[in-house]
Amino acid sequence: MSKAARYLKTAWLSRQFELARPLLPAGTALALWLGGKKLAESDAAGADLSDACPGALSFALTLDGEVVGALLLLPPAGGEAQCRRAGDFLAHGLQGMLDAEHARRAIAQEALEGYREMALLQRAALELNDSLKPAAVAEALLKEFDDRKMGADYGAVYQFEAEGKAQLMRCFGAGADDAFDRFADSEFFAGIAADAAKAGADIVNDLSSLPTVPEFGSLLWRPLDAHGKNLGLLVLALQRRGGFTAGDMKRAQTLGSMAAASLHNAQLYAAEQKLFQSFVDVIAAAIDAKSRYTSGHCQRVPKIAMLLAEAAHRDEGRFAQFRLDEEERKAIEIAAKLHDCGKVVTPEWIVDKATKLDGIFNRIGLVALRFELLRRDALMERDRRLAGGGDSASAVRDYRARLRKLDEDFAFLEKCNQGAESVSAAHVDRIREIAARNWCDSNGRAFPLLSEDEVYNLMVQRGTLNPEERKIIEDHAAHTIAALKQIAFPRALRNVTEYAGGHHEHMDGTGYPWGLTRERLSIPTRIIAIADIFEALTAPDRPYRKPNTLNSAIGIMHRMKLNQHIDGELFDLLLSSGVYADYAREHLADSQIDDVDIGRYLGQ
Amino acid sequence: MKTIAIVDDEVHIRALLEQTLEDLDDAPEILTAVNGAEGLALIERERPSLVFLDVMMPLMNGYEVCAAVRKNPDLAGTTIVMLTAKGQESDRARGHEAGAHHFVTKPFDPDEILELARKVLAAS
Ligand SMILES: [Fe+2]
Ligand SMILES: [Fe+2]
Repeated sequence: MSKAARYLKTAWLSRQFELARPLLPAGTALALWLGGKKLAESDAAGADLSDACPGALSFALTLDGEVVGALLLLPPAGGEAQCRRAGDFLAHGLQGMLDAEHARRAIAQEALEGYREMALLQRAALELNDSLKPAAVAEALLKEFDDRKMGADYGAVYQFEAEGKAQLMRCFGAGADDAFDRFADSEFFAGIAADAAKAGADIVNDLSSLPTVPEFGSLLWRPLDAHGKNLGLLVLALQRRGGFTAGDMKRAQTLGSMAAASLHNAQLYAAEQKLFQSFVDVIAAAIDAKSRYTSGHCQRVPKIAMLLAEAAHRDEGRFAQFRLDEEERKAIEIAAKLHDCGKVVTPEWIVDKATKLDGIFNRIGLVALRFELLRRDALMERDRRLAGGGDSASAVRDYRARLRKLDEDFAFLEKCNQGAESVSAAHVDRIREIAARNWCDSNGRAFPLLSEDEVYNLMVQRGTLNPEERKIIEDHAAHTIAALKQIAFPRALRNVTEYAGGHHEHMDGTGYPWGLTRERLSIPTRIIAIADIFEALTAPDRPYRKPNTLNSAIGIMHRMKLNQHIDGELFDLLLSSGVYADYAREHLADSQIDDVDIGRYLGQ
Repeated sequence: MKTIAIVDDEVHIRALLEQTLEDLDDAPEILTAVNGAEGLALIERERPSLVFLDVMMPLMNGYEVCAAVRKNPDLAGTTIVMLTAKGQESDRARGHEAGAHHFVTKPFDPDEILELARKVLAAS
């Protein structure tokens, strides 16, 4: 049925026939056919009326010069001349109405196309401009041509890389990946890609004789160019030949121009992101490079942090409320990479302080020299006594005893100098006793064997750092915060400073620099704190100890959990999710990996 | 045969909607009314499956027509789509209150109208 049948409304036609009735001889049967359908009739006689009826008068109705229907009149005997006149009049009116409707529809169609394009642009603009990633732009663009929208069988967006190489970004259709890869290798593609922007968009509705791929029967393409740059190519294909219309091309043109602008923005954004990320990586690497002992720390902490964050994201139990989106993932990763960036202002000799007497250099050498002086004193004393003719046996015996004592004392100090040694009260007494001894220079001036500063450092209870140095080290967290506060993070990354700055906080509030308790520390902050410790405990080498095995690292962390230093729930998750093992497999030496009975630690 | 009513005082909206809906398969009958009162009478008489109803109209506005239709149990099978002006989000709240099922902003997207009409007619 042609649309012409809809041009004339039945209600209007009935009225028209009613008005025509007095003009016709009584008994005239009347009917209107339009688009192969009978639209109106005068009465029962009219109902049976067709142009096959003998004696029927037919008045053709046309559209654009083509006959689309007819007004039929069957005059009663002798009424033919009157019927012809009235029929001409009636048909002229109907034809005029048809022509007017036809024109009105053409205008309305044009207006509707405008509506369509505007709606398309509005809707597509939301999606396309919302996409900050080139791949997302490609996806939003292709969505406008798939089954539901335009009905293309295949669609693809290629991106041109710097060297002009085309990279397939996104595609749809049965076996599309493969088909578009082959298409990209075809001569035909090389032809349209070579100067895509200048050559413009086009349709080839019969690909049978062209060297493309057998899946494609018709092809439509539209270059994606913006600011004079050839960014990519939109390709649509149908399996059948002769499938694409001018309307399809218009759609591709409209959306293509918008997509190209969005693609350009997305590519700029991606480049900015890459730039920023590389800065972050350079800073992390620089901090790592600062100490030979902690190398790789700032690269490995993010690995653990992200594994643990993803585990929390998947968790349906304790962390059911914790969900990550892409921006939050980025925030956590950047925070983990930069968590120690405050160490740029920490003097290296403190970061690397391997022994208690390390300063700019290890002062144990000075102490060793002084002991050597005392040994010489002892030797000279013996020789003086031997020369003086005294009891030579006792002189030698005394000398040996003095030497042994010196060796023992020095060995004791050397041991105390190591950070792994815990220093007891008895040790402190012995250090003081040794310090109180004197050595003399060649002018006979006496000096204490150990300076006050040396005694102070040797008395350090735990590790190698004295309280002042520990403070300087701890200041790095505050420096991290101060540094990150200077960075103009975008909204999505506004929590980076908190996540990074809180990595030495303890759950019971005894950490630094804020001294916040667990409930005031965000989950990402707690995650980075745990990652920091897990990395440090499992790192291959540290100044004053051999690397821990996995089991002993986790044992130490379990004590930290019991002491409310680290978050117990995250510690449990580290174990129950298997993240500890995943990380160990990737980053620890085989010799460090032993069996961990996680049941011993979980939940308690 | 299914029936669709268009109730809008603007002639060009009626014409454009009508033409859009003519693209539907099965050629449902499309009736029009030029104001709220005429629209309500048309709906009560013809019981269309689907009504496109303008908000701002003389004699009776779209909310009133909608509320009257919803109050009539005989018209429970009539789906009402309100045509709201762009940016008038408050219209939607009032339309919901009056019992409208769907909303389309003017200028409308012809494809959206067609999709909606197909869905409603298939379900009715
Ligand atoms: Fe730190
Ligand atoms: Fe750290």
